Amino acid sequence: MIAGANTKTETGSSGLQPHAGKIAAGARPRVSMRGIVKTFGSVEALRGVDLDLYPGECLGLVGDNAAGKSTLTKILSGTYIPDGGTLEIDGEDVRLTGPSDARARHIEMVFQDLSLCDTIDVAGNLFLGREIIKNGFLDKRAMAEKAKEMLAALDIRIPNLSAKVAQLSGGQRQAIAIARAASFQPQVLIMDEPTSALAVAEVEAVLALIERVKVTGVSVVLITHRLQDLFRVCDRIAVMYEGTKVAERQVQETNLEDLVRLIVGDESVR
Amino acid sequence: MTLYTERGQGSAIEDFLAEHAQVLSIAGFFLVCILFFATMTDTFLTGGNILNLLRQAAPILIVASAMTFVITTAGIDLSVGSQVALVNALAAIAIAAGIPWPLVILMMLAAGAMIGLAQGWFIAHQEIPAFIVTLAGLSIFRGIALLLTKGYSIPIRDADGFTFLGRGAVAGIPIPAILSVLVAIIAYVVLDRMRYGRQVVAVGANREAARRVGMPARWVTASVYGLTGLASAFAGLLIAARLGSGSSNAAVGFELDVIAAVVLGGTSLMGGRGTIIGTVLGTLTIAAIGNGLILMHVSPFFTQIVTGAIILAAIWLNTRIFASGLRLGRKKS
Ligand SMILES: Nc1ncnc2c1ncn2[C@@H]1O[C@H](COP(=O)(O)OP(=O)(O)OP(=O)(O)O)[C@@H](O)[C@H]1O
Ligand SMILES: [Mg+2]
Repeated sequence: MIAGANTKTETGSSGLQPHAGKIAAGARPRVSMRGIVKTFGSVEALRGVDLDLYPGECLGLVGDNAAGKSTLTKILSGTYIPDGGTLEIDGEDVRLTGPSDARARHIEMVFQDLSLCDTIDVAGNLFLGREIIKNGFLDKRAMAEKAKEMLAALDIRIPNLSAKVAQLSGGQRQAIAIARAASFQPQVLIMDEPTSALAVAEVEAVLALIERVKVTGVSVVLITHRLQDLFRVCDRIAVMYEGTKVAERQVQETNLEDLVRLIVGDESVR
Repeated sequence: MTLYTERGQGSAIEDFLAEHAQVLSIAGFFLVCILFFATMTDTFLTGGNILNLLRQAAPILIVASAMTFVITTAGIDLSVGSQVALVNALAAIAIAAGIPWPLVILMMLAAGAMIGLAQGWFIAHQEIPAFIVTLAGLSIFRGIALLLTKGYSIPIRDADGFTFLGRGAVAGIPIPAILSVLVAIIAYVVLDRMRYGRQVVAVGANREAARRVGMPARWVTASVYGLTGLASAFAGLLIAARLGSGSSNAAVGFELDVIAAVVLGGTSLMGGRGTIIGTVLGTLTIAAIGNGLILMHVSPFFTQIVTGAIILAAIWLNTRIFASGLRLGRKKS
C-alpha cells in the first residue's frame, strides 16, 4: 500500500539531488523561495528557508508541530509578508502584496483552519472573494449552479447548498475549503493538512485530485502528518524543523523510517 | 444484510423556518404589540397616529439600516446620536448663515460620511475597539455641538423647501417616512444582493478568511462607519427640518433606540449575520412601543424602562437561542 516505503531500505541517501524523476533536468522552477525569514514578536517562525517548486510536481512538506510549514506556505499565498528573502515566480522576482495578488497569480491555498465564513452558505463560501456579478448584483443562481458542478467534479456530496457552513460536518467543511482552492484553475495549489477531518473515501478523492491536477502541470504543496499519503502522491518531500528546512528527498530515495527520523531531528541521518 | 440508504431530506419549510426564525419571531412580537395597543387605546390604529408614528420612526430607521451593516461586521457605533445632534446644529447654523439649503444638505451628508470614516480609520487601521472609538465619538461630537450652539436652539427661517422635507407629505404619506423606506430598501439590496454586502457579512463572520480570499477587509470595516455617519447626517437633517430648528440636545439616547432596533430585528452582535427586514420590524416595534405607551398616558419615564427591558430580552434571545442554534461559537476558534 505504501509505495516506496517497502521497496527502499537504504537511509541517508543523497536526497538533495535536484528534481530527478518526472521533472526534466534544468527545468525552471515555477516558484523559487530563497532565504525566507519571518518572525512573530520573539518567535523566529522561519529562519531562512529555500524552497523550489516545479510545474507538475507534488511537494510534500512535513515537520514537527510549529516547525513553520503553515507560515512558509502562507507567505507563498500572500497571507503573510516575509521579513526577508526573495520569491521568484516563473523566473520573475515578485513581492506579493497580499492574498489578492497571490490569487491573481493563480496561487491557491487550503488553510489549516479552513478560513470559511460560517454564516454564509456553501455556494457563497466557494465563491468567496470572486462572486459572480450580473448587472451589478450577485448572481446567486449562477453561483449555486456552478457550486453544484464544482462539488460534483470533486465527488463531494452536500445535499443542501443553501445550508450555512456552520451547519456542516467537519469533513464537509474541509471538502468545501478544498473545492474552493482547487476549482479556479490554480497554477500552484497549497494544501495545509487538507485531509485531517476526512473519511477514507474522501481522502482517496483528495489524493486522486492531486494526481489529476499534477498531470495538467499544477504545482502542488501538500502538508500532512499522514506520511503514508506522501508516498502515494508526492514526487519530493521537504522536511522542516524549528523554522528551517533540514532535508529534501525524492520519494523514491526515502522511506517512512527515514522520514520519521528526519522529522524528529535525529542528527545521524541528516 | 445491511442496506446502504441515503438519509431523507426534511421538508424545505422546516429549513425556511429555522433560517428565518428570528425575523419571524420579531414579526410576531411586533403584531402582539400592535394588537395590545390597538385594544388598550382608541387612537393607536387611526390613520393620523400611524402617519405620526412613521414620521417619528424615520430617523431611527435610516440610522438603523446603516447600523445593521456595522453590527454585521461585529462592530458597534455608539456615536450616532451625537452625530445626529452635531449635524442638526451645524445645519441650522449654516442655514442661518445664509448658505442655500440644498448646498447645506450636501455639505452635511459629506461631513457625516467623513466623520464616520475617520472613526472607521481608528477602528480598522489602528485596531482600536469600535466600542472605545465610538464612545469617544459620542462624547466629542455632542461636545462640539454644545460648543457651537452654546446650548441654545437655533431656529431655521426662510428655508421652506428644507422644512418641507421634515413636515411635508406626498399623497398623504410623510416625506421622512418615504425617505426612510427608500433608505431601508437600498440597504436591503446592498446587504443581500451586492458584492459589498457580501464583503460586510464575510468580514463579520471571519475577518481573516475575508482577507485571505482577497477582500479589502480593512476598507470594508472602516467603510461601514462611513455609512452610519452618512445616515446620521441624513437623520440629523430630517429632524432639523421637522422641528424647524437645530439643537445640540437633539437625539439624546438615540443610539440606544437604533441599536435596540437592529438587535431586536435579529442581526447578530457577534457579526456575520444581518437582516434589514428584521431591522425594519425592530424599528417599527420600538417606535410602536414608544408611541403606544404615550397614548396610554403612561409616564414617559416608564417608556425608557420598557425599552431597556426589551433590549435586554432581545440580546438574551440573540445570544442564547441563536448562538446555540447556528453553532456560531465555532467561528472564533
Ligand atoms: N500569526 C502568528 N502570530 C504569532 N506567532 C505565530 C503566528 N503564526 C505562527 N506563529 C508561530 O510560528 C511558529 C510556526 O508556526 P506554524 O503554524 O508555521 O507551524 P506548523 O509547522 O504549521 O505547525 P503545525 O504542524 O502544528 O500546523 C510557531 O511557533 C507559531 O507559534
Ligand atoms: Mg500548520
